[in-house]
Amino acid sequence: MSGLFEVPWSDYRPDLIDALGRTVSYTVVSFSGAVLLGLAVALLRLSRAWPARALAAVYTEVFKNVPLLAIIFLTYFGLASAGIRLDVFTAGCLSLVVFYAAYLSEIFRAAISGVHAGQTEAGEALGVGRTGIFGHIVLPQALRLALPGTNTMLVDLLKSTSLLVTVSAAELMSEGRLITSATFRALEVYLVIAAIYFALCYPLSQLLLLLERKVRSGVPLSPWRRRRLRAARALLAAEPAAAVPVKEVSA
Amino acid sequence: MTESVASATPAARGSSQAVIRIEGLCKSFDGRLVLDRVNLEVGRGSIVSVIGQSGGGKTTLMRCVNLLERPDQGTVEVAGETVHQGGRMVCRDLPRLRRTVGMVFQRFHLFPHLTAVENVVLAQRKAGVPEAQALERAVALLRRVGVAHRALAQPEQLSGGEQQRVAIARALALRPEVLLFDEPTSSLDPEATREVLSVMRELAADGMTMLLVTHELPFAREVSDHVVFVDGGRIVEEGRPEDVLDTPAEARTREFLASYGNAS
Repeated sequence: MSGLFEVPWSDYRPDLIDALGRTVSYTVVSFSGAVLLGLAVALLRLSRAWPARALAAVYTEVFKNVPLLAIIFLTYFGLASAGIRLDVFTAGCLSLVVFYAAYLSEIFRAAISGVHAGQTEAGEALGVGRTGIFGHIVLPQALRLALPGTNTMLVDLLKSTSLLVTVSAAELMSEGRLITSATFRALEVYLVIAAIYFALCYPLSQLLLLLERKVRSGVPLSPWRRRRLRAARALLAAEPAAAVPVKEVSA
Repeated sequence: MTESVASATPAARGSSQAVIRIEGLCKSFDGRLVLDRVNLEVGRGSIVSVIGQSGGGKTTLMRCVNLLERPDQGTVEVAGETVHQGGRMVCRDLPRLRRTVGMVFQRFHLFPHLTAVENVVLAQRKAGVPEAQALERAVALLRRVGVAHRALAQPEQLSGGEQQRVAIARALALRPEVLLFDEPTSSLDPEATREVLSVMRELAADGMTMLLVTHELPFAREVSDHVVFVDGGRIVEEGRPEDVLDTPAEARTREFLASYGNAS
């Protein structure tokens, strides 16, 4: 048995970096799309009109109960045989979007209905309009509730891009297959590929956990909110004669 | 002494104009009548307390004022404008009506994702108040209710009494003409209840018009100009607080007061 590492990795570095970039592109584009579509489906499911609810429910159930690989084959090979020829990046992203949107819509729906009804009522009682109530009161709270599940889905999506090897999407897994067929060193190559996925996913999920903690503790993340709180702090400090001396805790 | 200030207030305002006028209000939920031909008037600068057992329709009556609940019948007038009539909403601008009427809930319902000061700013910004002005007013109101030192805290970091005081500041932010209090101290411990009642007492002294659903009978007696006893969806008895609470005319009122151990 020869040594474990015999593949000339330095020769493959540019290709691997390319492949890594493609994996990241698939992830970013598909996840953004899936979040938007998932939110739209979740809103349809919470709509007052039953046809909208039914449509959204059918969508969710169909795509939740079909394997991702089948969806990938349908969009890339299936649609092509019906005359709709999508390039591999479009087909790959489309598959990931429709599949993950189904799961995300369930997470978002649960999160939106998980916001206490009293919140909407408090907004109404303050004369905030419907869009204001959704945008400023319900959605921000729903996002907090949805964050853990959504983060899991993001990492899961990143790993699922490896299924695109079946349509030769030139992402990490495809690159691994190419190197293997050139070197016949499957164990070594796929160990390295697996390690690269781990090196991507582990820090990402840790980062997302950190984000969850920050959001939960109420740290203002938008510059707009930070500015408002800074201004509030200045106003509060400007008080000359407070009944109780107040030490402003600056974050 | 607070009492005298409060009762002198309506006279000081010198107006008998009603901020809230309700006539023949009926409301049922799933065929169960919870309000039966109720009439109620809250004059400018006056304080009206609604008392009665839980489930008697008090809260529903209050929620009909800002149309969180839609009456089935009757007329609701707010600030001289008919907003609901004969089971039909005639209010063209619901947000504006609700800015005229501030509301404080039993369970506070502060926005948990925002700090105390942002809670007071939000509705102002949505109503078109410029940022700097909204913020300034929010801070001033938090000072007024005595929670300015907690302005940058999240609601979950606040005690119940602090949360309810922030909620009062939030309700005051849009300069409403009347404040509705829906059992504002029912989910508070005695200490927090004292904090909140003292803020309400100050508002009363400032001449704020208030409609109050409460179980705090001594407080109702102290600040109210008018007490309404509601039972089974109907107004059983109403009048000056000392009359209703001390020498009730109706047997049902006496029974209710006795259950509170109110022997005075």
